[in-house]
Amino acid sequence: MTTLSLDRRPAQTARLRQRTVGRTVLYVVMIAAAVAIMIPFVWMVVSSLKTNNQVFTIPIQWIPDPVVWQNYVDIWAKSDMVTWVKNTLLLSVGVTFLQVLTGSFAAYGFAKMRFPGRDVLFLAYVGTIAVPWQAYMIPQFILLSKAGLSNTLWAMLALQTFSAFGVFLMKQYYESIPDELSEAARIDGLSEYGIWRRIVLPLSGPAVATLVLLTFVNTWNDYLGPLIYLRDRDIWTIQIGLQSFVSQYNAEYALIMTGSVLSVVPIALIFLLGQRFFVQGIATAGMKG
Amino acid sequence: MKRSYLTATATAAAAALVLTACGGGDDQGEGGQDGASGAVTVSLAGWSLDTTPEFQVLADAFHEQNPDVTIDLVEYSADDYDTQMIADLSAGSAPDLYVMKNLKNFFTYEDGGQLVDVSDVAGQLGDEVSGVDAYTVDGATFAIPYRQDAWYLYYNKDLFDQAGVDYPDGSWTWDDYADAAEELTTGLDESNVYGTYQHEWQSTVQGFANAQSPGADLLSGQWDYMVPFYERAVDLQDEGTQLDYGSITTNSVSYQSQFGTQKTAMMVMGSWYVATLLAQVDSGEADEFAWGFAPAPQLDSSTVEEPITFADPTGIGINPAADDDVVAAAKEFLAFIGSEDAASALAEIGITPAVTNDTVAETYFGIDGMPTDGVSRFAFSTHDVRPENPVDANTAALQNILEDAHSAIMSGSVSPADGIDEAEQRAAAEVLG
Amino acid sequence: MVTTAVPPTGSTSSRTGRNRPGGHPPGRRLRLRNTFIGWTFILPNFIGFAVLTLGPVLALFYLGFTSWNAFGQAEWVGVENFRGLLTDATFHRALLNTGYYAVLHIPLTLAASLGLALLLNTKLRGVAFFRTVAFFPYITSIVAIAVVWNMLFSPDAGVINQFLTFLGVDDPPGWTTSTDWSMPAVVIVGTWRYMGYYMLLFLAGLQAIPPELYEAARVDGANAIQRFWNVTVPGLRPTTFFITVMLTIESFKVFDLILVMTNGGPGISTLVLSQYIYRKGFEEHDFGYASSVAIVLFGICIVVTVVQFLINKRRER
Repeated sequence: MTTLSLDRRPAQTARLRQRTVGRTVLYVVMIAAAVAIMIPFVWMVVSSLKTNNQVFTIPIQWIPDPVVWQNYVDIWAKSDMVTWVKNTLLLSVGVTFLQVLTGSFAAYGFAKMRFPGRDVLFLAYVGTIAVPWQAYMIPQFILLSKAGLSNTLWAMLALQTFSAFGVFLMKQYYESIPDELSEAARIDGLSEYGIWRRIVLPLSGPAVATLVLLTFVNTWNDYLGPLIYLRDRDIWTIQIGLQSFVSQYNAEYALIMTGSVLSVVPIALIFLLGQRFFVQGIATAGMKG
Repeated sequence: MKRSYLTATATAAAAALVLTACGGGDDQGEGGQDGASGAVTVSLAGWSLDTTPEFQVLADAFHEQNPDVTIDLVEYSADDYDTQMIADLSAGSAPDLYVMKNLKNFFTYEDGGQLVDVSDVAGQLGDEVSGVDAYTVDGATFAIPYRQDAWYLYYNKDLFDQAGVDYPDGSWTWDDYADAAEELTTGLDESNVYGTYQHEWQSTVQGFANAQSPGADLLSGQWDYMVPFYERAVDLQDEGTQLDYGSITTNSVSYQSQFGTQKTAMMVMGSWYVATLLAQVDSGEADEFAWGFAPAPQLDSSTVEEPITFADPTGIGINPAADDDVVAAAKEFLAFIGSEDAASALAEIGITPAVTNDTVAETYFGIDGMPTDGVSRFAFSTHDVRPENPVDANTAALQNILEDAHSAIMSGSVSPADGIDEAEQRAAAEVLG
Repeated sequence: MVTTAVPPTGSTSSRTGRNRPGGHPPGRRLRLRNTFIGWTFILPNFIGFAVLTLGPVLALFYLGFTSWNAFGQAEWVGVENFRGLLTDATFHRALLNTGYYAVLHIPLTLAASLGLALLLNTKLRGVAFFRTVAFFPYITSIVAIAVVWNMLFSPDAGVINQFLTFLGVDDPPGWTTSTDWSMPAVVIVGTWRYMGYYMLLFLAGLQAIPPELYEAARVDGANAIQRFWNVTVPGLRPTTFFITVMLTIESFKVFDLILVMTNGGPGISTLVLSQYIYRKGFEEHDFGYASSVAIVLFGICIVVTVVQFLINKRRER
């Protein structure tokens, strides 16, 4: 094992050339894979630039002719896109904020504190993930209706904020943070809340970023929840709005695809910004050799 | 912002705890009395309100006759109407009046005690209202129908002329239909048009088999009578006379575009498509061409005098959670929707009402763009419509089993005989056993 | 074998918590204090969780032993629903299909997402773009996904079969129109859809591995493959555990993807448990029976999770 690292220098020039070739191949493969992965989205975009009758053709027509930009104008007049986006944004931001706050707080209790009943409690959290929502949504709906929350955005906020997922995710990440750090802080006289706030939370950037992104996307794309809870048009979210749009204008495929493209753009942007949090630690060290 | 969210959520959660602990049972409809003037507001569930004007038409026409009563529409999802309604009824937050989209779910609502007995309203209705029987359980009626669709055979006169095939004359059997479909396919070979189109739904085969086969009974779990209907359908798609099932499902083919853009010369479809086609021709989504609709093909010529077809009625019932004065006003509304006035108002927007007498037919065929030939008129006014879903506890489960059989047979995974045989075994073991 | 090459820096070995506050000589007051503080951490989330999720889930466990049509009082029927499940051939088929999906979907997605994460955890130019691309399937509307993939899978005109024919496959599969191939087709789409999602979780986990460990391994002369097995794999363990648990549960719960892709067909070749629950409940209005199916599904997930938990515990040692 140790002998390998002794003579590196003679091989370096060859390895450099090898790496350039390797990298080019890598890029080609990755670009090809990217195109393949994006095909359904590309189809969405292409379809949104067609007339309705051109959307479904056998075989698929990949280049719209003529290009119908009008769909991107019409959609604002034919639907309440602005209201939907506003509601969904409000909900996604609210849910994400509360989920990250309460989830990471609770995760500290599960990961770094030791007290009786902790593991049972945690199992209850994970256990509920294993129950499909459509099985208990009626009891839950009755509960929230009795509380006067059905047909309000509060219901959605309450529903999505306290998911077990966030707690589980954060707990697993906290467990990979060495206990010596919090131990040292404890000796320095920091309270448990202080340790969470000053030590553990700042160290869990990637996990928080993941939770933010996933919670945001899940809230943004949730369909069944808003379907059950929201009736009034002025509190519809983007998914339920799009679905109603589909059943109202069931032949206007091009417009439906326009709406779908528009609904994806905000999360794509947020992802593009958020993924920057995944380039520390190993990313720098791993590639040097 | 953050604080107010937190406190509000915490308060809400606490409130929920307290309320459920007390078992708070104040089931109340959304309507109620508006002050002391005697004016009443009644809420009514509808779906896709922008493009489904029938609810507003009924509400407006009723309000005109009864200025004291206002009908407020509550919007539901068109696709998931029953899911939302079950949730709302279960939690006591449903509107005062709600629509039965089909008979499959009517049973649940009636059996679950979610409908007010409206036998008194039914007793006042004229004999012309079709579909009332479907809502009558043990002598009591629980909903009043306002529309009664029926399945027709739509055909494209231009394409028939081009292929040199005679129009359907109202006496067709399924064999005549299959022959014509083949002839049309051959005659229209160059323009790449199919003779007929059969949408992916199970109704397109099973609906007719259940309605027309002698002694057919969906609830019996003995479905051998469906086999010949399936054999015909499978033959038609195997020989390329109609677009095959796999292409329809994998390419998300819509029946509106198939017939509307002249990709098929014929199509069996429900009467709701008349209004859709007229609207799509207007908007340019469908081509302009001469078309008509004829009675659905029959099993044999013995029923051509009064052709047998099928479709569930669409009716409205009253939520028992509504207050007494609201129920009284709601009953007036139900009496109205079964009247000729309501039928004419609906016919004006291309809906097939539950009352189809001559006056209504006059209104219906007066619509701009409506075919006016004798066969279309005959199809509209003369038919024996059988409900698609019998009102029974087992209907939904049996229909689900048959839906599975439909996709298995039409995709060519099993032969019609084997597919039906499997379905019968499942029904016997899981539902009827 | 796994941990031998990692230099014993000591920082990762204490993961199981030998140095936790509770590890001190257990004074009663200290334990009480820890319990109190522990609860204050958990409580803000737990109150909402208990009321909104745990409560309804417990209600579901009650409903599984009743006959309930969503209206009025549920009627206690004991284990009758479960006895019905024993002889319900459609339920057995749904169970089998769910297992089939999970067995194919879990390893494929795990491999694909870990591969993507390793590939995209670099400073390559344009890595942000590729990460976003990998995540795109997860954010694209599921309706559009179903429409496009079904077209790609179309037996005659579909791009996939045209490609297979081009490669010389004589009799390409019927995919979503064939009872034999519909499940593999759904698995392919499922893997494609979720690999970006789990890639993100792996990426986060990779950031938690201290760079010094790689440095040390390299000094010891470990090559890339050795570094992967001896540094990356052990370092990722908490993340991998989380991902396998979530992926397993999500696979057993698969619902909307099946609904839009095949709706369980053709026949019942892709009918899965979640869909069966929805059918029994919302279509056939037998919420008691639907609840009992959900309890079985829950039981399966818990057993698998506990097994994973035990394996994870043993590996940690």
